[in-house]
Amino acid sequence: MKLVKLLVAAALVVLVALGVSAVATAQSDDEKVVLTVGLTQDLDTPNVTAGELVSSYELYNLQYAAPTDLAADDFAITPGLAESWSSEDGRKWTYTLREGLQWSDGTPLTAEDIAYTINRSRDEEWLNYTSTVANLEAEAPDARTLIVTSKVNDPKLPGLSLYVVPKHVWEKIPADDISNYPAVEGVGSGPFTLSEWKKGQFWRMEANPNYWRGQVAIDEVVFRVFRNADAMVAALRSGEIDAAHAVPEAAFPQLQTEEGIVAVAGEQGGFDYLVLNSYADNPSRDTDAFDAPHPALTDLKFRQAIAHAIDKETLVERVLEGIGTPGTTMSPSANPAWIPELTADQDYEFDLAKANQILDDAGYTDSDGNGIREYEGEDIVLRYAIRTESKNSKPYAEFITGWLKEIGIDSTFSSYDDGQLIEVAGKGDFDLYVWGWTPFVDPDPMLSYFQCSQVSVDKSDFSNYYNDSGICDEEYDKLYGEQNTELDLEKRQELVHEMLTRFYTSAGYIVTATSPDLQAYRTDRFAGWVKQPAETGPVLFSNTSPSYWNLTPTASTSDGGGLSTAGIVAIVVAGAIGVALVGWFFVRRRSAEERE
Amino acid sequence: MTFRFVVGKVLGALATLAFVVVFNFFLFRVVETNPVATLYRGRNLTDSQREELTRQFGLDGSKLEQFGRYLEQTLQLNLGRSYATNQPVIDEIWAAAPQTIALVGVATVLSMVLGILMGISAGWRRGTNQDRALTSSSIVTWSTPDFWLGMILLTLFAVRLGLFPTGGISDPSASDSGLGKLLDQLWHMTLPCVTLAIAYLGEFALVMRSSIVDVMREDYLTLARAKGLRDSQVRDRHAVRNALLPSTALIAINFGFVLSGAIAVETVFSWPGLGLLTYEALRGPDLPMLQGLFLVFSAAVIVFNLLADLVYPYLDPRVRYQ
Repeated sequence: MKLVKLLVAAALVVLVALGVSAVATAQSDDEKVVLTVGLTQDLDTPNVTAGELVSSYELYNLQYAAPTDLAADDFAITPGLAESWSSEDGRKWTYTLREGLQWSDGTPLTAEDIAYTINRSRDEEWLNYTSTVANLEAEAPDARTLIVTSKVNDPKLPGLSLYVVPKHVWEKIPADDISNYPAVEGVGSGPFTLSEWKKGQFWRMEANPNYWRGQVAIDEVVFRVFRNADAMVAALRSGEIDAAHAVPEAAFPQLQTEEGIVAVAGEQGGFDYLVLNSYADNPSRDTDAFDAPHPALTDLKFRQAIAHAIDKETLVERVLEGIGTPGTTMSPSANPAWIPELTADQDYEFDLAKANQILDDAGYTDSDGNGIREYEGEDIVLRYAIRTESKNSKPYAEFITGWLKEIGIDSTFSSYDDGQLIEVAGKGDFDLYVWGWTPFVDPDPMLSYFQCSQVSVDKSDFSNYYNDSGICDEEYDKLYGEQNTELDLEKRQELVHEMLTRFYTSAGYIVTATSPDLQAYRTDRFAGWVKQPAETGPVLFSNTSPSYWNLTPTASTSDGGGLSTAGIVAIVVAGAIGVALVGWFFVRRRSAEERE
Repeated sequence: MTFRFVVGKVLGALATLAFVVVFNFFLFRVVETNPVATLYRGRNLTDSQREELTRQFGLDGSKLEQFGRYLEQTLQLNLGRSYATNQPVIDEIWAAAPQTIALVGVATVLSMVLGILMGISAGWRRGTNQDRALTSSSIVTWSTPDFWLGMILLTLFAVRLGLFPTGGISDPSASDSGLGKLLDQLWHMTLPCVTLAIAYLGEFALVMRSSIVDVMREDYLTLARAKGLRDSQVRDRHAVRNALLPSTALIAINFGFVLSGAIAVETVFSWPGLGLLTYEALRGPDLPMLQGLFLVFSAAVIVFNLLADLVYPYLDPRVRYQ
């Protein structure tokens, strides 16, 4: 019986421990003003040269101020660490830094830090820097003067959206170790700097006393990681957190109607697209190693018919549960100003009769009466690839292939995870699928994906290409080269509008809907949430994250944090029940013994 | 138990482990994918950046070369670096393991004790209403998916009643040291721990019940009664001792699964242990991390099975190996 007694004693200890656990948890908060943000993704690394998750960019946005900032409303270039700048030729820019800049640890922040960041990140090709610094050369003649020279006409200048790292910390890390550097030292120049990271749980950032805008109204921001998005929504409702990023679609409509909570579907240019494999032997590639699309897809008329058969309104309503708006052209930037207005004759409106008419006129007829049109005597059957990693992919496929059926086109399905689909796309082994992109602020990277040079041709590596429709349009490439070096913003926008309109009419890339970030925040504790861009953008996890330095506390700032009295009572009761259960066992035994 | 027996068992375990090490490498390479392309889609990497990342990820060279490197590293207990965080896999596993051991260990002990008591009670009075109630509730809890049970408890106790936190292991605002910290963590552990305990309970109860029922037919119980012992003495000294043997094996095997046993529950409650690490790594996919985790999980099961094999003959003299 010893063993049983031992086990009972062990259980008793555990139960009592769990029961008592409540009592001292209600630690009194000091008077700190803490903003708690819930999200579903942990940091990958606080190291700004290596991280690539959205959560990590939010950390970098808060920790590192840039030489020039981007306006919350429209991404206009505004002063940051630099207060002014000038240039004679648009290539060589001289920046004057603010007076008395300091890092969060009190070390002076000088032009040398910025020059160091630009030159070293260019030489060592730091991941998050290459697109900004590849053609730049920087020097620091004195502490407040920075001279940046570009080898080419760079329309991004004088904007320097660059995470400037503290030279006195980073110069100790050799190039070979830089991507493995844990970077938890928390020295920065932005409004908040990292003070603690509990992997898988939360990270904490404290206000930087030396921030150039002056100290902000919040003392501390805590980012809490939830692996269960529904639990995150519950925490927002109960006030455990003040704001939430990546709210699940199913919970969003309910949050929109709740008092004391504002739900935000923040557009940052992200979109879903239906791609049609339109590769037409240009540029040429090894036909043994690569697959070809259904030949009908290389016919513009055929693709246009499909474009007319996609009801974007219905996709938004039924697949995306009303979240997002129907798409038009490809969206190359978080700034909607880059998207052109389509004229009525350019737009492929949803019209099945028109789609059928186009196919009839182009000679795709159904001669055997089975409801499927033929191409050179064979039924047209397209290969539709489903993304297993997106829950919307299957509903998308059902609606889209349903409409295709109505215009006499049949489909087969295969499923892939994203890693496989990248290979399949590069190999051209598909006819259509739905995927998504999220662009940067400058339109250049997104625009670059659809050049001829991005059509997959290297059979040793299919994955190095982004032009998945396989359309090669030399005029598009020419315009791309022009916008890339056009320093006049208005002229550049015209060029980009022309490119996007061409791309749209080629009907290889049908943008089905925008894909906004779903966020929500409580109104009872903080005011001053800022949308970037104005009206339509998100309030958190935006391009430069202006909300954090703009927020002010509204009412009481101490939230108790710990456990309610009811909680303590309940846990004690639960513990008592556990103890009673074990006691009952002993008593029963004894009374049974007495009976016998 | 002979020396030969022990050596045989240990060698068997080592052979299994060696198989796992080899199998592990190929398991995660069945599907051909390129993690550099997946993780950096749309980033316009330069050729040298792609090469550097491929090298860092250990994906350069032929499969055979990669396998050679993998074997060499694994033997040195170097499990590679995580694709996602660039940190050594072994460090990440080391950091997450205590949370999982605490959660699943406590839950296993709780369910073991309560389950065995339930099983004894049900088996000893088989056929009564008490037996029927205990047995059917055991079957219900055993067949309930643990993540679903977790969601129910979470919704009820954390969301509706607000008694427990909605997830995590500690409140960022709670005190950082000593008793306060410990209690805060226990408070966070309550719901996931209760979920797991309920989920494991049924198995112990049912196994214990059936072995009690088995030994009740034995002659030595009749003899014990004939000697005039009280019913509780017959049960505790003669029936339970013998009936505990199958449960001992079950306990050992269950402890083998302590490390890997809570992937779904840890995810539901955002509990930062090995289960959550696995879930994250699967989403990547973070191959070195998955490889490392599977190796550690398999090793735990192998070790505890070996222990069970070695201890069993001591507990049950009838099982003496030749």
